[in-house]
Amino acid sequence: MPARLLILALALLLSACARGPDTDGLKIYRHSLGGAPSSLDPVQSATVYANHVVVNVYDTLYAYKYLKRPYELKPNLAAAMPEVSDDGLTYTIPIKKGVYFIDDPAFPGGKGREVTAADFVYSMKRHFDPKMRSQGAWLWAGRIEGLDAWKKAGAHYDQEVPGLRALDRYTIQIRLTRPYPQLIHTLAQGFSAIVPHEAVDYYGREFSVHPVGSGPFKLETFDSVRAVLVRNPKYRREPIDLAYEGYDPARHARYGIAGIEGKIPPLVDRLEIHFIKESLSRWNSFTKGDEIQYATIPKELLNEVLLQKQPKIVLRKRYADKYFMLAGLENGFVHTDFNMKDPAIGYNSDPERQKRNHALRCAIRYAFDWAERNRTFYNDMGFVFPGIIPPVVPEYDPDAPRDALEHNPDKGRRLLAENGWTADNLPTLTFGGVASVDSRQMFEQFRGWLLKIGYPREKVQFDSYASFGDYNRAVKQAKVMIIGMGWGLDYPDAQNTLQLFYGPNASPGSNASNFNDPEYNRLYEISSVMQPSPERTRLYRKMNRIVLDACVTISGLSRRNIYLWHKNVISYPDQSIVGGFHLKYVDVK
Amino acid sequence: MEILQYALRKFITGIPLILGVTFISFLLMVYFGPDKTYELAGKNATPEQIAEIRHQLGYDRPFLVRYGEYLRELVTLDFGYSDSTGERVSHILERTIPISLALILPGFVLGNLLGIALALVAAHHRGRWLDKLIMGGSVVGMSISFLIVIIAFQIIFCSNYGLGWFPVRGWNVYDFWDYLRYVTVPTLATVFVALGYNTRFYRAVLVEELGRDHVRTARAFGAPPAEVLFKHVLKNAMIPIITRIMFSIPFVVVSGALLIESYFGIPGVGLVTYDAITTGDQPVLKAVVGLTAVLFVLVLILNDIFYKLVDPRVSLQ
Amino acid sequence: MSATAAPAARPVSESLWGKAWYKFRRDRFGMAGLAVVLVYLVIALGVWLGLWGQHWSSVEGPMWAPPGPDYWLGTNIIGQDIFERAIYSTKTAFEVGLVVAVLSTALGGVLGALAGYWSNRWPDELILWLMGVLDAIPFYLFVAAIAFALQDNPYAMHIAMIATFWTTTARLVRGEVIKLKNFEFVEAARAIGLPQRLIIFRHILPNTFHILLVQATIVFVSAIKSEVILSFLGLGVKDGVSWGVMIAESTQEVQAGHFSNFVTASAFLFVLVMAFNLFSDALQDALDPRKVSA
Repeated sequence: MPARLLILALALLLSACARGPDTDGLKIYRHSLGGAPSSLDPVQSATVYANHVVVNVYDTLYAYKYLKRPYELKPNLAAAMPEVSDDGLTYTIPIKKGVYFIDDPAFPGGKGREVTAADFVYSMKRHFDPKMRSQGAWLWAGRIEGLDAWKKAGAHYDQEVPGLRALDRYTIQIRLTRPYPQLIHTLAQGFSAIVPHEAVDYYGREFSVHPVGSGPFKLETFDSVRAVLVRNPKYRREPIDLAYEGYDPARHARYGIAGIEGKIPPLVDRLEIHFIKESLSRWNSFTKGDEIQYATIPKELLNEVLLQKQPKIVLRKRYADKYFMLAGLENGFVHTDFNMKDPAIGYNSDPERQKRNHALRCAIRYAFDWAERNRTFYNDMGFVFPGIIPPVVPEYDPDAPRDALEHNPDKGRRLLAENGWTADNLPTLTFGGVASVDSRQMFEQFRGWLLKIGYPREKVQFDSYASFGDYNRAVKQAKVMIIGMGWGLDYPDAQNTLQLFYGPNASPGSNASNFNDPEYNRLYEISSVMQPSPERTRLYRKMNRIVLDACVTISGLSRRNIYLWHKNVISYPDQSIVGGFHLKYVDVK
Repeated sequence: MEILQYALRKFITGIPLILGVTFISFLLMVYFGPDKTYELAGKNATPEQIAEIRHQLGYDRPFLVRYGEYLRELVTLDFGYSDSTGERVSHILERTIPISLALILPGFVLGNLLGIALALVAAHHRGRWLDKLIMGGSVVGMSISFLIVIIAFQIIFCSNYGLGWFPVRGWNVYDFWDYLRYVTVPTLATVFVALGYNTRFYRAVLVEELGRDHVRTARAFGAPPAEVLFKHVLKNAMIPIITRIMFSIPFVVVSGALLIESYFGIPGVGLVTYDAITTGDQPVLKAVVGLTAVLFVLVLILNDIFYKLVDPRVSLQ
Repeated sequence: MSATAAPAARPVSESLWGKAWYKFRRDRFGMAGLAVVLVYLVIALGVWLGLWGQHWSSVEGPMWAPPGPDYWLGTNIIGQDIFERAIYSTKTAFEVGLVVAVLSTALGGVLGALAGYWSNRWPDELILWLMGVLDAIPFYLFVAAIAFALQDNPYAMHIAMIATFWTTTARLVRGEVIKLKNFEFVEAARAIGLPQRLIIFRHILPNTFHILLVQATIVFVSAIKSEVILSFLGLGVKDGVSWGVMIAESTQEVQAGHFSNFVTASAFLFVLVMAFNLFSDALQDALDPRKVSA
């Protein structure tokens, strides 16, 4: 190996004969993301970044319409929306015929074969095979008849799973253990992408960097700074129907999107997705002109780039001349939770102390100043809302009372005094956070507020963790007392955020606060099997109220992102939910 | 022949070093390093899933068994697959180390050459204003954060807010001119920062040499300054200089330059190593640490041989 | 030893230290450097005694206030007084920088001398092995591990830094000592029967002072810069601020056009390091027995 290294190094330095890929005349689009995926195996596609690549090299049964907002599902590899039985337990899904995997040495003769319903069954089974190290199994755990039993019996792929069958070559049938209204949403995620078993067997562990799919693109190279995808010549030809995709002239005409009507995706020959963590480096590359063509504005430069922020966002002329802009709220939110498992501020075997803890948490919440936090860290553009139902989901209540967001140090002080809290008996508060300038500053800001309700300075401390992995581990082991977290929506349904406070989801699950309220749990279980309806929305909002009254979280703020792209690019971008699905519709003039 | 025997003997005595490094590093990785389990566990993991993942990653096996396996991997140079991406570790290293080398070498060489040159000037004019000026410059270089230098250079030389002569990010190197385009600004940044440290150190060494009797004698005999500097001073000063240079090599080669790679979008081994450390990707870490140790031992041997060649008073005993 | 012409009445002491002090006093740059270092020391002591710099963490001020009568050097993004923070950081710098620089240089010097004196025998092999092991382990890995292991120890950071910084000094001293031990003065010392301990510490080691001094100043700066990284890893100043932290904060601020934080911290750091350098250069010259006059 050392000899090979040396030769490679010399070759790189002295080569005048090696030529790059011939990109003359090709249409190239260079996208950028704020982070990198580690694995491209759908079974591990847990991050937004991985999803962007996965949904472009693989097919999922369903996807989201390109332009429709609020988001709406549409068939992708499926031929139609599913046929659901009356009891809501059986889903029958037809898939399109004549869809082929790309050519790859994994297939006999190197030619990719047709995609069948059995491939979907195989892909889903992989989530329950321990050897595959799935990160998405939680979406379907305990929901599909026989799947968990299949796993317990040793995960043999030749064994049938009663709830997951290919009725024939092109028909899938899923049988659930109880109604799961969000099932179709899960079938639009990268996790559910369809993979051929030949490739998994052939490449083994390296399958995660050597994808073989049936999506609009195929992967050419992948490293820690970018992924290069090229058009898949075998991709099914489906002309764009803009009306179907949700085109609305009032919102979309100014970006020139009408021009892609009738064209056949993918519209570019070569798609480069650059992974750039440093916002300033990303911005420099974006403004260069011949590098990336899409970026978000770095926080530090917002005042330099924007002319005004309220009531409408407007770019300064020299930027408005060169770039299109789209501003939108993220599909997620940030919030700060209290760890209820910690008897100092949460559940306590002494009912008197538990009551006082409740008052303490509410007092701390009064100290929190959302307006100032928004101004300092989110450029005054974040959207603050009470509770855990963010503004982007249909069940959001714009008229919900905002008392939980109130910044009132006097009320905080009074609460503490009324409940027997003094500077001597107040518990030491420990904030957890990743080791970074922002976390530290957020902590120092919060500490400053706590001083105003009478908290002694030495009793407010910061526990910094070297990396997000360490922090995450501590949170999942319920070791962090006050947890600053963000949540990205997996699908546009409030159930995805309400499950964050469902008792059985406590650590190591996603319920980082370890909240466990019997009434909340009851309402959650009832609403989780209901289809969207006004009654369900009422229940959701009631649950939101329970969380707010318990003062278990200080929530929440949805960040506003501003996307810019070069004017020769025809696109309507989206970071998540539609996310990577939009890339096949991007055209370059 | 004698040198070869000496080298072989030294290598054998270098084995405890490799063992020491790998043992301690592995100890650190296993007991104090980040735990990959929770990253792989996904959003709503159950305790059973977590136990499964730990088993997959091999975390539940006894320490010495895993250490023995590590040594075997080092000997066969087969480190398995990355726990993060699943790619073969040897593929990752083959792909990234040449790039890091090509990136860092110019800066490394230039930084040291310029440092020696500046130090010669400063030492020659010792105590006078030119000396103080160079030393002041060195201190500035040493005090400025590398990050600020990178950001400033990127804005000044690459971006459209500055000169825009060079690309901001990327490494599409297919011929020599591409190479120059992509490596220039990173090299400038590296040299700028390293120059301060290098000059300061080399000057001290040279000043010490300048004070030696044989130099005074040479001057007394009327030797021109250039001859004094190069023939008498530099040769003797080479020992600490070369020592310093040689010992920076293993880290430069295998660990890469993280900040540069991150800001300039260069897919080298620095990024890979840093990610491995912060996420606890043990296969990659084992490879990087093991190879660094081996390189280190090689450098030690070379350094000792070099001492022998340069200073006849030093014996190989 | 040649006789020096003593100015006016006071006789100059003939010892190494006496002559050194005499020469040092006449070096203006060196005295200036010393004066500045002493000023910083006084500032640090004042912070430590609670006289000033105590309000470095209060978030009273407006965001990014410009320098003015209320906030002498302005405020940072969360409204903290930059001047207070810079003053408090002086204490941190001395606590960390000085302690680490002195201890790691001393440790490196001693171990390096021992290794060099007995080169190629077992003390040398052992110390070389130890140095090699410590150097070859990636810095972040090593430091993160110490962070974890010594979590509640207030000196965890100092220990981590000393443990990594001594090796360079030791290596250089070792190389120098290998050269020196073959000089005649060592042979002469041996011939008159001096014990090895004295030969090493009284005769050989002082000849490596130039390396030690320079390394100390380099380590001082490195310690302050490493302290930033270590603070973030949870090791460093748990409840405090340093110039390094201020510089890290300011990285984002300068891009938005606010330079006060960055300039303040960098200037404070630069001036102290420069003063240290001038001081150590003058000291090096003064201690050099071959330089008869300044």
